[in-house]
Amino acid sequence: MITRRDLIKWTAVAPALATGSQAAFARAPQGLDALLLDERFSPEPAADYARIPVMRFAGDVTGVWYDHLDRRWRDPGYVLGGITGSDALFVLETLANHHGRRVVSRTALAEPNIDGVRPVSWVIAPHHPSVTA
Amino acid sequence: MALPPGLSEVTFADGIAEMRSIVGNEWVFDQPADLNTYRDFYSVLWGEPEEKHASAAIAPANVEEVQAVVRTANERSIPLYPISTGRNLGYGGAAPVLSGSVVLDLKRMNKVLDVNESNCSCLVEPGVSYFDMYRHLRESGSKLWLDVPDPGWGSMVGNALDSGGGYTVGGYRGHWEAVCGIEAVMADGELFRTGMGALPGSETWQQYRMGIGPCLDGLFRQSTLGVVTKMGFYLFPEPEAALSTSVEVFRFEDIEELIEIMNELEYGNVFNGMPGVSSPVLSQENPIAMSIVPEPDVMNRMVAETGHAAWRASFNFYGPEKVIRAQWEHVQERYAHFPGVKFTESSFVKLPLSPEDLERVQKPRFGIPSLDIFSVGSRGYGNFNPSDGHIWFSAVIPRSGKGIIDANRVMRRECERLGLDLFMFVPSVTCWTRSFVLFAAVPVYKDPERNRHLRDAVKEVIGICASHGWGEYRCPPAFMDDVMDAYSFNDNKLRRVNEQIKDALDPNGILSAGRYGVWPQHLREGREA
Ligand SMILES: Cc1cc2nc3c(=O)[nH]c(=O)nc-3n(C[C@H](O)[C@H](O)[C@H](O)COP(=O)(O)OP(=O)(O)OC[C@H]3O[C@@H](n4cnc5c(N)ncnc54)[C@H](O)[C@@H]3O)c2cc1C
Repeated sequence: MITRRDLIKWTAVAPALATGSQAAFARAPQGLDALLLDERFSPEPAADYARIPVMRFAGDVTGVWYDHLDRRWRDPGYVLGGITGSDALFVLETLANHHGRRVVSRTALAEPNIDGVRPVSWVIAPHHPSVTA
Repeated sequence: MALPPGLSEVTFADGIAEMRSIVGNEWVFDQPADLNTYRDFYSVLWGEPEEKHASAAIAPANVEEVQAVVRTANERSIPLYPISTGRNLGYGGAAPVLSGSVVLDLKRMNKVLDVNESNCSCLVEPGVSYFDMYRHLRESGSKLWLDVPDPGWGSMVGNALDSGGGYTVGGYRGHWEAVCGIEAVMADGELFRTGMGALPGSETWQQYRMGIGPCLDGLFRQSTLGVVTKMGFYLFPEPEAALSTSVEVFRFEDIEELIEIMNELEYGNVFNGMPGVSSPVLSQENPIAMSIVPEPDVMNRMVAETGHAAWRASFNFYGPEKVIRAQWEHVQERYAHFPGVKFTESSFVKLPLSPEDLERVQKPRFGIPSLDIFSVGSRGYGNFNPSDGHIWFSAVIPRSGKGIIDANRVMRRECERLGLDLFMFVPSVTCWTRSFVLFAAVPVYKDPERNRHLRDAVKEVIGICASHGWGEYRCPPAFMDDVMDAYSFNDNKLRRVNEQIKDALDPNGILSAGRYGVWPQHLREGREA
């Protein structure tokens, strides 16, 4: 189900997101179709990075879901990287599973927790044949 | 893999192979990584041998495939556990009640089949989420509202079948109350329609719920009797405006009359939105967890010292501006005699919401799906981290001042005695009209030792509540038998009648075994002791 092309994409991405949120963002996360940043952990504004569209939110994933992912995840493809709170990742992972996608990389970051919420970097990629590109 | 009890590997494999040929290979999930997604992430049995696991999951695309899968299962006595979107977190998630069941995942059946603007109703398939329906209504230019629970990612059908609730108008926010017309695949694979759906050519399936004879919709609420493949709902015509207000009173003893008048006003249709009763003076530490109600003189002293109201009743109105302003005026007149009473208009908005209002309002109050609830913990609002999880304890209590005070004191005292943490505690939830439902969110752990303690404590609380006449309206699978046992009138006649119906309609016991304490005959032995 996971194609070789996908694998190459993700292995390039995963180490880039494996450090602290600043460093993770500073390194070019090549291979992603979009990057999702949780402003609670990564407050400074960022334009699209290395031509990768950056979506920002602050804890509540409703807008990101309704305006972007709900549509994107209906079609094949679309590898999404993120640096978010563990609470937001829980919601996104549940939605991703429902849409034939999986968290293929997940790293707890060194930044301090906010009210018990850990920052995490991750990659969600298509998994089910109905959405693998 | 957890095989269904009493089933040989050969029969099971044969059944799965047959199901594969029905739905297509890619829609059968039997690998550990896939099955992991059907675990209950808030399970109080997490990681223990008793945790409920699916043996496989099957995702059919249409009613015919559902029928064929059910027939295949029935021929071989393979237990099935239908889910719609499987987001029943706090009440069991996507996991079956009986380990080894095959989850029948209806997520691919996600069509909005009909929206009738003039009848203010819709007909949907089980995989339609609140987000899907909201998008459909907005993009089609509909003037209709839907009512949504806090997390908007669940399905209209799954939520209603478990009797879920939302936050807008009476008659809509109790989601089961808004159901009109059900289609279900029965255990023998036959298709059944309730109400006017049983009359070929009828155009009133989503208008007149009862049809003729006994109203059989109830067969499918929290039940083990069918796979629901279509469901009709009443929808609310978008109002012109919405008004939120509150009435604050400052004496312990005001609670009884505060609620009596609130009941009279709601049942007399003076207001249509969801009411609420809280205690500002007892919620100073945590706005979503009322502390124990003290003796009257102590509470009145706290009020005098802090200036916080003893009780607050909130009122919500939806309708034409002129009408709802007049209704609010009437509400104020009815409470004017309370000493020191304080009236507040907390928000008034014209609809549809402006983009600025949309940012500011609590979306579910306007029928707008949201996922915001999963981030409230990080705003310091209760100690809530969704990746750890919680269960809901939700008991039906009398809608009166005494009801709130008694339930508050018993729950607070017993939970403290038992060492049961509550990070949210609201004794007077009114999603369902005519009674209060006491809601407590109990944190769950990924640690068997702590969960064992939690389970024992919750079971004890279920018994204590029952001794006061309070029963849960809904609960996680680990407590379903205990909760059903508590409904014990006439030697548990309720359960026994449910079992008789189960045996008649599903003699091989293949559907949703064990849900809400109703087990098929072959799994009942030993439980009756
Ligand atoms: C933080 C938080 C807040 C919550 N707030 C609310 C709230 O405000 N209101 C509320 O109601 N709930 C609430 N919940 C509980 C739950 O998340 C929702 O009720 C959710 O909508 C239920 O999941 P679902 O819609 O995916 O239903 P499903 O999980 O699909 O279905 C629920 C159950 O119904 C049965 N079922 C489903 N579909 C079928 C079918 N087609 N045929 C036969 N049987 C079927 C199954 O037994 C299934 O387990 C909350 C949960 C959390 C974690």
